[in-house]
Amino acid sequence: MLRKHKNLFFYSLDCLKKYKMRTIVVFVVFTFAVAMLSSVLFVKDGLEREAALSVVKAPDITVQYLKAGRIASIPLDYSEKVTHLDGVVEVRPRIWGYVGVGAYTFTVVGLDLSSDRLPTGLESEMDEGRFLSAYDAGSGRVVVGPLLAGMLQLHVNDTVVFLSESAKAHTFAVVGIFSGESSIYTADLIVMSIQDARNFFEIPQEYVTDLMVYVDPEAPIDNVAAKIVTLPNTRVLTQDLLIRGFKTAYAARGGIFTTIWTILLAAVTLIAFSQAIIVGVQSRFEVGLLKTFGFTTLDIIEIRLIESLILGVFTASLGMIIGVVYSAFFNAPGLSQILLGWAFLPSEFKMPTHMSYISIFSIYTVTVIPLLFATIVPAWLNAITDPDLAMRRATA
Amino acid sequence: MIEATKLTKIYKKGTPHEVVAASDVNIKVDDGAIVALRGPSGCGKTTVLSMLGLILTPTEGKILIDEEDATAYSDYWKTLYRRQNIGFIFQHINLLPGYTALENVLIPLLCRDEDVSRYKSRALELFQRLNVIKRGDSPVEQLSGGEQQRVAIVRALVKDPKVILADEPTVFVDEETHDLIREMFVELNREEGKSVVVSTHDPELASIAEKVYRLTAGKVTSVTSK
Repeated sequence: MLRKHKNLFFYSLDCLKKYKMRTIVVFVVFTFAVAMLSSVLFVKDGLEREAALSVVKAPDITVQYLKAGRIASIPLDYSEKVTHLDGVVEVRPRIWGYVGVGAYTFTVVGLDLSSDRLPTGLESEMDEGRFLSAYDAGSGRVVVGPLLAGMLQLHVNDTVVFLSESAKAHTFAVVGIFSGESSIYTADLIVMSIQDARNFFEIPQEYVTDLMVYVDPEAPIDNVAAKIVTLPNTRVLTQDLLIRGFKTAYAARGGIFTTIWTILLAAVTLIAFSQAIIVGVQSRFEVGLLKTFGFTTLDIIEIRLIESLILGVFTASLGMIIGVVYSAFFNAPGLSQILLGWAFLPSEFKMPTHMSYISIFSIYTVTVIPLLFATIVPAWLNAITDPDLAMRRATA
Repeated sequence: MIEATKLTKIYKKGTPHEVVAASDVNIKVDDGAIVALRGPSGCGKTTVLSMLGLILTPTEGKILIDEEDATAYSDYWKTLYRRQNIGFIFQHINLLPGYTALENVLIPLLCRDEDVSRYKSRALELFQRLNVIKRGDSPVEQLSGGEQQRVAIVRALVKDPKVILADEPTVFVDEETHDLIREMFVELNREEGKSVVVSTHDPELASIAEKVYRLTAGKVTSVTSK
């Protein structure tokens, strides 16, 4: 039986050449549509993955303070209150905020360097220099992300001056630069000691921005969070909540684009159908003739199936490759700003791109299946018609 | 043996555009016989021939093949029967564009679980016999009407069918090709024992038949035997 399938396979290839115009139209339009759709999906996948990885570096629970329904600085004595709750291993205060450098905004994080527990994985993400230690507390030393380093051509031992909101100039010494240009978490980060951050943001001694809570691995995080939230004016963010928040934000933005591209793909499918109709007369005649020769309905379907699969899989794969090149190599111009929601992305920022199995499967599904329907259904309808009638109708 | 009994074909039955193309046609084609269907254009010759070749389902009546009712069989069975036993020669030639003459001849064999290149020598032998050997590698679009018809005949014969159904095979060809086709049918019948059913309004071609069915307005009006 293999020989016959081989014969039909080569005949299908010939058909792709024979129906040249249909092949070219479907090829060009599908490749373009898939390239657009895949770039959105792969960038969205990349952002979600980055967000998930970033959250791993976050504490088990982040405690914020609410005042009049808005987030405000949290009194330091809350640290004491949270520490005494069951399941809590350690509570570390943190001060963070934003600083403007030129037209761009960077995230400043002030950490309590006296603690043994450093942010998970951050120390190992150094491209140059070292991470901060207890000796750097209040010393004006910082570790910066690759975006700022790239922008200002910073290296270890360089100094950098930031202007605070009260227009005071603060000078910092760079002791390290984070690696991983594609990491959202570290890309725009400036890490310093909590004392330096307090000084920079002019936050009173008895307040911090939030509390980082580390939970006993044996204790369920949700239970501990539920206890913390009973303290007045508190709001808690667990890692799960952060991940969900990130995903919702990116998925919503990605969703708009996915919808647009899906509509485009539907239009493309209509083009494929119209092409199928254009070649339909010729194809109907061919099917009738092949049936006369002794090709069974299954043989006809197999020929059209192979044709569509080759065309569909090839165009989808090529479209995906173009999508990846557009996102990963050209930084998804036009798309990155919309998906990230930042109007101030420096050119040094590299768009995270990730091809998830679900996205690849979705792309193949929305490409190949409509194409299969567009070609197989008419072929099947012709194949189950009397060959004489199929040929007469085609030539009528 | 192929036997048609009370064969009727009505196109668009039950509509205002209903056309009775064949009505109560009885035809018998013995193994190894040449049978001709004669009549003017539009008398139903092609329709009857298509029904005999199992590519058109009759509205009424039966096609008996070796005394078995083929009309009751599935589309799959009919397709396999055609694959193994019937070679069609169409009035409008029906070669597939975009292929060479040789490729067109080998296409019907692609549905077989065989290496089609095995049939190449037989195809070339038939090309030689029909005087188109030099045109084997030419795209069919570049062939004359007569050459195309000869290629179509080779296509029908390459699989060595038991029955040849030819619909007006000489209508678009020159005199030389006409004679060649007629002689070929006689040779295939005498030397290889093939049954030939030919529809024609050409008396010279019909003269090779042992039995001639004359059709008028879809009905058999006379049967002449040699």
